[in-house]
Amino acid sequence: MSWILDFYNYKIVAQYLDRFATGMAATLTAAGISLVLSVLLGILIALVMLSKKAWLRRPVAAYVAFIRATPLLVQIYLVYYGLPALLPFAKSWSDMAFGVAALTLNSAPYMGEIIRAGIESVPRGQFEAAKGLGMTYPQRLRYVVLPQAFAITLPPLLGQTAVLIKDTSLLSIITVFEFTSAGILLNSERVRPNESFLTIALGYLAIYLVVLLLTNKARAALAGPAWNAGGR
Amino acid sequence: MVERYWNIVVALAPFLWKGFLETLIVSLVGVVAGSLLGFLIGVIRSQRVAGLTGLLGAYIHCLRGTPFLVQLYLFYFVLPNTGISWLSWDSRTAAFVALSIYTSSYVAEIVASAIDAVPVGQSEAATAVGMTRLQRLWHVVLPQALKLTVAPMSGVYVMIIKSTAILSVVGISELTRQGEIAILRYPRDILFIYGVIAAIYFLYCYPVLRFARWMEKRVGSARPTELD
Repeated sequence: MSWILDFYNYKIVAQYLDRFATGMAATLTAAGISLVLSVLLGILIALVMLSKKAWLRRPVAAYVAFIRATPLLVQIYLVYYGLPALLPFAKSWSDMAFGVAALTLNSAPYMGEIIRAGIESVPRGQFEAAKGLGMTYPQRLRYVVLPQAFAITLPPLLGQTAVLIKDTSLLSIITVFEFTSAGILLNSERVRPNESFLTIALGYLAIYLVVLLLTNKARAALAGPAWNAGGR
Repeated sequence: MVERYWNIVVALAPFLWKGFLETLIVSLVGVVAGSLLGFLIGVIRSQRVAGLTGLLGAYIHCLRGTPFLVQLYLFYFVLPNTGISWLSWDSRTAAFVALSIYTSSYVAEIVASAIDAVPVGQSEAATAVGMTRLQRLWHVVLPQALKLTVAPMSGVYVMIIKSTAILSVVGISELTRQGEIAILRYPRDILFIYGVIAAIYFLYCYPVLRFARWMEKRVGSARPTELD
């Protein structure tokens, strides 16, 4: 048994279990809040990108291009150092709040793209029929377009959620104590890289497998409706 | 004001250029090595060899399921710690290997789904004219599949360029790291310096993104369902 302890001493990991738990809670919190906010912002981005008003679409398209063509790490630095200068009330924010803001701003364009593709996949006739019935624009979205778009959107949205959860690891660089930070702490106090980094790798892998399972479940559950049959 | 910023840019230009070159080299090594490895894995995976499919699937999921930062720590701290002499590499080698292996998982998925997108009748017709499995693959399926990989591969290239920023945490002196060093010289201009860094990344990545979109419209693409 001693070779296991040499390679991976789980007793050390057990000593740090509360730190790993705290870190995991922070990771899931950051990912959860960013997920909700970025889906909401993503819906807005999708609606703007689908609108015909160029003065509305252009600035949002520029923002989307900027997010897609620059590294998340640099975006995190820009938000972390830039937001307090831009918004005076952000000066009192915690590191976690800056992290969530950066992740939301980074994730929203990707969510928006998925949602836009979902909305566009709803046949035009559905929208026109709803118009013919005298529904207002919000009603058409709420009762006709979004429920159908949802079926196509959910699996890739869950995939993007997996990316978002992985991206929270970068918050360790702006000193948010999340899951990766717990591993870094163990390594800096005990100099045991195996126990530190294999543990966090396994932790992230566990979350990923849960999300993957949900994605497959969602795909199977939503495969029924007829509007899914034609596209793929 | 403008003059002050201009002076900073002039003073930093040589360092930023050096950083950009390092980003360029690392990303090119990542894309070339990662594509070769990923292509091989993707082709093997598409052949549905018993036993291998599951193994390669596990490889891809392990790389997909963990953050690149964590993978980098594994290659930088854990592998040199194993005691195997050829694994005790320096930070630059660790970064190259980590980036290439990370890339290979994405490329493998793209290649495998592009091969799956080629109509099965093509392969059947090739069988009917007496081609062997390898001949079918090489002369019939791959030429059609590779066309479909161009657009998503450009997307992967952009993803690699963006991932190289993370290499700054193990001390690779690429663009982001050069920015951090520059901030030690101009601590009051953090925001401006990161703005310049972001602009340089944008100039590198945006044309590739436009090319990807253009290719996608022109030849279409086989987008793996799971690719971010």
